[in-house]
Amino acid sequence: MTEAAYLSMQGLSKAYPGVVALRAANLEVRRGEAVALMGANGAGKSTLMNVLGGVTAPDAGSITIDGSPVRLRTARDALAHGIAFVHQELAMLPSMTVAENVFADGFPTRFGIVDGATMRRDAAELLVRLGCNLPTDLAVETLGPGDRQMVEIARALRRAPRIVIFDEPTSSLTNNEKRRLFEIVQGLKRDGVAIIYITHFVDEIFEICDRVTVMRSGSTVATRAIAETSPTEIVRLMLGEADSGERLADEASSAGPLLLEVSGLCGGILRDIDFSLRAGEIVGLWGLLGSGRTELMRALIGLDPIDAGALRWRAADELRPVTPNELHQIAGIVTEDRRGEGLLLPLSTRANLSLASLRSLLTPLGLIDRNKEEGLAADLIGRLHIMVSGSAQAVGTLSGGNQQKVVVGRWLATEPRLFLLDEPTRGLDVGAKSEILKLTAALARAGAAVLVISSEPEELMRICDRYLVMSRGRLTAQMPGSATRAELLSAVSATPLRMSAA
Amino acid sequence: MGASVGQAESRRAGRWSGVDAKLGVTAALLLVILVVLLVLAPSFFRPNNLVNVLVQTSSLGLMAVGMAPVMIAGGIDLSSPANMALGAVLGAMFMQAGGNPVVGCLIMVVAATLVGLLNGVAVALLGMIPFVVTLATMTVATGAAVWLTHSVSVSGFPDSFYDVLLARLGGIPVSVYVLIAAVIILGAAMNGTPFGRYLYAIGINPRAARVARVPVRAATCASYAVSGLMAGLTAVLLSARLGSASANMGNDGVVLDVVSACVVGGVSIYGGSGYVTGAALGALVITLLSNNLNLLGVSYYLNLMTKGVVIIGFVALDGLRRRAS
Repeated sequence: MTEAAYLSMQGLSKAYPGVVALRAANLEVRRGEAVALMGANGAGKSTLMNVLGGVTAPDAGSITIDGSPVRLRTARDALAHGIAFVHQELAMLPSMTVAENVFADGFPTRFGIVDGATMRRDAAELLVRLGCNLPTDLAVETLGPGDRQMVEIARALRRAPRIVIFDEPTSSLTNNEKRRLFEIVQGLKRDGVAIIYITHFVDEIFEICDRVTVMRSGSTVATRAIAETSPTEIVRLMLGEADSGERLADEASSAGPLLLEVSGLCGGILRDIDFSLRAGEIVGLWGLLGSGRTELMRALIGLDPIDAGALRWRAADELRPVTPNELHQIAGIVTEDRRGEGLLLPLSTRANLSLASLRSLLTPLGLIDRNKEEGLAADLIGRLHIMVSGSAQAVGTLSGGNQQKVVVGRWLATEPRLFLLDEPTRGLDVGAKSEILKLTAALARAGAAVLVISSEPEELMRICDRYLVMSRGRLTAQMPGSATRAELLSAVSATPLRMSAA
Repeated sequence: MGASVGQAESRRAGRWSGVDAKLGVTAALLLVILVVLLVLAPSFFRPNNLVNVLVQTSSLGLMAVGMAPVMIAGGIDLSSPANMALGAVLGAMFMQAGGNPVVGCLIMVVAATLVGLLNGVAVALLGMIPFVVTLATMTVATGAAVWLTHSVSVSGFPDSFYDVLLARLGGIPVSVYVLIAAVIILGAAMNGTPFGRYLYAIGINPRAARVARVPVRAATCASYAVSGLMAGLTAVLLSARLGSASANMGNDGVVLDVVSACVVGGVSIYGGSGYVTGAALGALVITLLSNNLNLLGVSYYLNLMTKGVVIIGFVALDGLRRRAS
């Protein structure tokens, strides 16, 4: 097929202070073709799509549509060039009706008054074309996620776009709803629409996409015809061929006593999670984005609600039932959102380090003992080699690596026996990454059980004694610490058929 | 190593560096007002008038230092003056009927604290919006006070009530000492106890606070109770000063004054920063702007406009600071 691309994005670059979001990214989509856009978190997919949507102005690069160069300065420009987005269902106006949501970006009017009849009729027509018979005067908040998705698609299609971008459309859909969505995508392809399909689920793109473009660190690293690639190759392209680095921790020779036992945990997307952790071991929670790995970690300590399941924790030499909130009082947690959930940016490094230990620093009068607090801060700053001008330096002014050390240090001060680390090295440079990983290994050596999430298998391979593999909210496999990179990759790119009896 | 070199110097630099500049602006404004008064209305500085200003400041100041912890934790308590009036009316009715003045004072303080706690439960445990909850509480408290008193002010307290509360030590009335004590105690609580630290943390980032095991609900709830407690103390002192209690004591204008005192005193309306001391200084500024510009022959209406402009200026400053950080 040598047909010229309908949409062509060439050499697009975009830098923000301190971060390069796009590095000469290229993307081509032909008429009647669906191109999957894949990449790990922060790979640049969103920025690239924001450029296409007229939301972000690129620093360099060009876009041509149907052979003629275009400039997309505003969202209106994008609309005028026939570009439409199907967002995740979040972009809805929940208390308004289906028809109003479909026409939210421009109500049909008669003499300046919204023409309800026309709006309802046109909305119904659009929905029928999507094979969906929703009453148009229902409030969107009463619909399930699948129907909401249909309303979102109807909204995108009402101006008969020539280019449609689907942004993770299936993340909250049931199987049947997904089938219906795939049929719509096929229908659009038959009508000659160019489709960009963003997803984290590798298996989906083999069903409905014709080609796949993979992004990594702001670059489009490869484009493959679907027929000529494999799930494993795509995952490998997404994650790159980083050199694995030396192993930082010996595999725990003899794991200690059982510390935590989780059984039948359900909640959100999590289904029937069973596993256990032993003292002194580092367990890698391995899965792609959207697999439920973050949700599992949050559910364990009550940051996300759980519907069912039991947690048992070792106290006084026997396993006893605990609630997630109680586990939170025991566990140290580093969430993936360091600035949003980890640190109090305007406060001093010292105040951030002492926050979880204040009650152990009190004078008899109930005041915080400044000397003890300073001692705690100085000790952690020294032990973790945190680079600060002093413990009074505002934590928001530290580098990413030092900020992360502050988050970890805060928990070190509480001497937790359970550590939950979600992407602890995200956004850090190579040196800082190694330091955080070494710290993790030291924690386990001191007898803590560590559960760690990373998007980079080579990082996990440097420290983990064991892996739990997650996919679509379930634990699908357990692997030993000796698992190779290839084994890890194929464990998450394979369709989840193997269910381990963990 | 850099870490150790900086530590001694940072200890001197103050614990919450950068925030101190806020107090500077408030102090500077205060100085400007005083200089203007000195030049244009030297009679302001008569000892009697100064004492009078401090007494006026003490009621607004007490409510403002109670509001400060709430605002620092990212909330707001619009019910504080109405709450104060309801507490005052309840205690006053008890004393009018011949009740013991000590118990009467306790009724005022406990009633107001309970209303504050109610706000806290609604906000912290039920997840309701502070602005709406406390606005509603304000209406309920005012309604209850009017209903109880039939809009008539309650007076006729025992002499011992006045004797103690209107006493002067070294020429300064008791109410001023109460404000000073409140500033010292609450100031220490905010800067030196886990409770205070938790409120700052919640105001800066409630999600991060939660992850860091901060008892977000309990601390938030307690902040509203503190505001209620301060409203109760204000009720006691103001009833004594006015010689009566009425539903009108906490009229709507007072709410604006309390919030303004905090904002002018550098307590951020976005939460997460500010000082109790600042709120008290802010109360002094607002009192001067409200009651003493007339010494300059300024009309009441121009006075209102001046006050409004100053408040808007500080809100703008607050917004600018927030954007800068």
